[in-house]
Amino acid sequence: MRNNWLIDRRTCLRGLGVALALPLLDTMGWADPPKGAATKLPVRLGFMYMPHGVIPERFWPTDAASYLTSPPQILESLRPVLSQCLVVKGISGIPIDPLGGAPHALELSTWLTATLPDTNKRNVVNIAISADQIAANYVGVFTSLPSLELATMPQTHKENQEGLNEAYYSHCSYRAPTQPVPAETNPRSVFKRLFQPRDQVQQGGRPADSAAAAEADALDHSMLDVVLDGAKDLRVTLNHSDQHKLDEYLDSIRSLERRIAALEIRRAQAAKSAAGDSGTKRGANDSAPITVTIPEGDKRSEYMQVMCDLNVLAFQTDVTRVSTYIGSTPNGVSYPELGFTDEHHSQTHHNNEPVKVDKVAKINAFNVAQFAYMIKKMHSLREGDGTLLDNCIMMWGSGLEDGNKHSRANLPFVLAGRGGGSLKTGRYLPNCSGNQGDLLGTLLTCAGIPVDRPIGLATKTITELTGS
Amino acid sequence: MLPVATRIGMTLLCVLALPVASLSSAEPDSDAELAALRAAATKTYHDQVAPFIATYCTHCHGEKKKKGGVTFEYAVKNPGTSAFRELWHQAVTNVKSHDMPPDKEEKQPTAQERQMFVTWVAGMKHLSPKDPGEFVIRRLSKAEYGNTLHDLFNLDPQVASELPDEVFGAGYTNSLSPLLMEQYLMVANEVLDKVLAPAGSPPTPVQQQLFGAASHDGKDSQAAARPVVQTLARRAYRRPPSEAEIDVLMHVYSLATDKGKAYPEAMRLVLKAILVSPQFLFITPDAHPEAGHDIVALGDHQLAARLSYLVWATMPDAELSALADAGKLRDPAVLAAQARRLLADPRSRALFDGFGAQWLGLDKLAAKTFDAEKFPQMTPAMRTAMYDEARLLFTDIVRENRSVLTFIDCDYTYLNGPLAAIYGMGSSVSGPEMRKVKLSDANRGGILAMPGILAMSSFPNRTSPVNRGVWVLEQVLGEHVPPPPPNVPALEKQDQRKVANLTLRQRTELHRTDPVCANCHKILDPIGFGLENFDAIGRWRDKDDSGGPIDATGVLPGDKRFSTPKELKQILAARADDICRSLTSRMLAYALCRQLEGFDEIVLDQLVAAVAKDGYRMQTLVVSIVTSYPFTNRRINDLPGPSHAK
Repeated sequence: MRNNWLIDRRTCLRGLGVALALPLLDTMGWADPPKGAATKLPVRLGFMYMPHGVIPERFWPTDAASYLTSPPQILESLRPVLSQCLVVKGISGIPIDPLGGAPHALELSTWLTATLPDTNKRNVVNIAISADQIAANYVGVFTSLPSLELATMPQTHKENQEGLNEAYYSHCSYRAPTQPVPAETNPRSVFKRLFQPRDQVQQGGRPADSAAAAEADALDHSMLDVVLDGAKDLRVTLNHSDQHKLDEYLDSIRSLERRIAALEIRRAQAAKSAAGDSGTKRGANDSAPITVTIPEGDKRSEYMQVMCDLNVLAFQTDVTRVSTYIGSTPNGVSYPELGFTDEHHSQTHHNNEPVKVDKVAKINAFNVAQFAYMIKKMHSLREGDGTLLDNCIMMWGSGLEDGNKHSRANLPFVLAGRGGGSLKTGRYLPNCSGNQGDLLGTLLTCAGIPVDRPIGLATKTITELTGS
Repeated sequence: MLPVATRIGMTLLCVLALPVASLSSAEPDSDAELAALRAAATKTYHDQVAPFIATYCTHCHGEKKKKGGVTFEYAVKNPGTSAFRELWHQAVTNVKSHDMPPDKEEKQPTAQERQMFVTWVAGMKHLSPKDPGEFVIRRLSKAEYGNTLHDLFNLDPQVASELPDEVFGAGYTNSLSPLLMEQYLMVANEVLDKVLAPAGSPPTPVQQQLFGAASHDGKDSQAAARPVVQTLARRAYRRPPSEAEIDVLMHVYSLATDKGKAYPEAMRLVLKAILVSPQFLFITPDAHPEAGHDIVALGDHQLAARLSYLVWATMPDAELSALADAGKLRDPAVLAAQARRLLADPRSRALFDGFGAQWLGLDKLAAKTFDAEKFPQMTPAMRTAMYDEARLLFTDIVRENRSVLTFIDCDYTYLNGPLAAIYGMGSSVSGPEMRKVKLSDANRGGILAMPGILAMSSFPNRTSPVNRGVWVLEQVLGEHVPPPPPNVPALEKQDQRKVANLTLRQRTELHRTDPVCANCHKILDPIGFGLENFDAIGRWRDKDDSGGPIDATGVLPGDKRFSTPKELKQILAARADDICRSLTSRMLAYALCRQLEGFDEIVLDQLVAAVAKDGYRMQTLVVSIVTSYPFTNRRINDLPGPSHAK
């Protein structure tokens, strides 16, 4: 059976079934907290997406009282960790008028922006910075990677609804209003990006000679500085739109320089550690970094789970504190593992026909199960006095409530993790009122990120989440 | 929901019924004529159209009320913007058919007012000022980047395979992210490791070619390195570097030499700097445009790059570069000759891989899901053969400069053994290699009857007449088919006992009794039904999955009747201008890397007229695009808005 995503993995997953080993220097633990700050563990923020909404009757718990004991079908896989979760009903999506003909392009692109694209310039990307990137701008400075973007399908869907740029279909992270952030789809590349010092490539896989690598990094760093200055010279010769485009380049070079600087710091820490000075902030009782194994088969569940593992590992080793994982994009993945080949979208317009409703519910449950896999793993890992999950805020959700009707009144959301004590989990909140911007702003605040302006259409903080 | 859906359907119907309505009889070509048309359209808008909308429409479709999700709130502020094209055309249909304003409204426009509105929308493109559009510095696509590395260093383009996949063309996401930048640096390191010898080892042949043979250690190292750096930058930047740009690279050179690095090591760092520089990663303009102009011609080198990346997806070759250096490329005759030369070269395969495959939807064939039990034939090799069949036909039409109508109907194709079996011609063709084959069955031949394309518009386990109809209308004829409204009743909703013995056609026709669906589907479905003799992977059949006989008869607007795929093809092929326009507009958008806007419509009119005049020939189509106003010029400042009227 060939799957939609297989073709892309086929090229990626050469050398299957190999466990990926962490280089020693990357098992270090926390980056230095700001001077004077207590050794409070950082809060990590993760988002995981499923397109096309849910079967509402099978997603929402019956009531707050029975939530923990008899969860609905779609949430069943979360049962062992429901006490760590918060199911929130009553969060509305941004109204998509006057772009009503583009529900699927907008379900994803508005998900973390709570903003509509510019209706007067639809054919170019112009929306708003997304919540994950706001977070990355703030906490990203503490880690070698400001944020991690993952997906399981190439972001290449072409469909032109309402004249909107195609990028809206497959991107939910925006570094700036005009700059969509691409996601990694290849687990091996993700791993390499997270943990492999760049110049190991030229060492032919042998452990890098750390002095030589350090020198090469320093030289690259100065080279990039010079290139950056040259690009600034080029910039002044360009017209306005070109300058704008070049700014993305300048930003990306700076970010690359910061990556190299972070590597240099880590390398120094490793040297200290080797000299007997325990530079690590990792607690003695913290779990060892998990092992990530790239699966041999072509099952979608395994593919989604290896991306979950990478997400967990990135948080556990503090390589990044922000992640966004597009479990699948709205352009129709299929789930042969569930016993049918129909594309997701084609089934969501089920018109209450039982066979299709069942299939959609199964797809929903499947996606939640992958999230549950990640949550359970985070819950099983010791960190400080609790678990890794205790220091995370993980949000799972969709950009539509009911894919059959394209409704957006009660977007489905499951939150997991206590956010370092800021979220009160183990509850179902059936009457939360607020919009998706309110929710995102509240979660950012819980993660300790100052939100200096409302996210999209946000107007308030959703205080029920904190239970205070 | 119902009235809106019905009206959308009406739009479609009318567009189909009047295929030539959009073509004006005389094409204006002088700037003065265009300016006059523009002034007239603007005046009519202010004097008549705006009051018309205010009087009859905004009561229900304005700022406050947005009945059926339709509002003129934004469109009236900016009527010429392409974003509102659909809205205006929909409005025309409703006004023409007296669907709008609704009968219950007391205020009704006169026949004359209705006609005024219809005429104005038809000429709305004239609201746009003459405008080639911007040509914002553009990042090389993944394929272009890989090919350029190949041309520079004689490397397998696969060196770029770890970059994220992306779609190219009108919706191209021309952005750069930290992730991509990291990957560029990673690929640069890989390239250098492959091409250059490790420190201290004797140089590789490519290295000698790039850096010169001699070692330049010693005092004059800088002076000796400069011309080498100049040559490297000239090739990699696809234009002569400025002195300042060379200074930057020489600064990089001295970073390495200051650390005591030898010449090859220092040049290695320079090359790395080149490979992460914006001048390499983007197509950048030649030099400062003259001040005081809003629109400028593309510089020779930018034009060379634009042409080369369009047809070959790689950097200009020596001949094209030399013409650019000599300043001759902006001569339309030279440019046209170069376009023809590039098309004749095998590298023009890139035009199919980048554009043709997307147009025909075949870029997704390799990854499409098929029911493996029902269609075990759909192996990777079969998919490749199906892709190549279309590619070879496309190439043939380009190389032999045939009419674009050949895409719709022709009596030959390209097959190998396994694909011939799909055609039921397994006995006459064998072996894995593709070859040109004469077709005797007139139902075959052309893209409408091509297995790969028929498979793309099917579900994993059965055909979809509706998808096929939509595909033909949108991709071949260039119509816009609105998406179905939510809650649309689906085939599976039908009482399974009642429909058990019906063919797919009979079942599909049932939903046409619903007025919500009927308007669109009475046009979509006949086309799809006309192709029902081809199963979900393109094999001929006389009975469908239910066992009932295939009924491939149908009627299209204008009482055009058909009973076989052959006759359907003939009816469609008669719409030569529409087919030509659809292909031209798609390729123009691809060539410009943007969606088409107001003034592009006027350009399109001119291009289609020129191509039609020359027998719809394919090379003429490409050459017309390459020499067109928007391809050879760019806007560098915002133009004063014509239509930002209150």
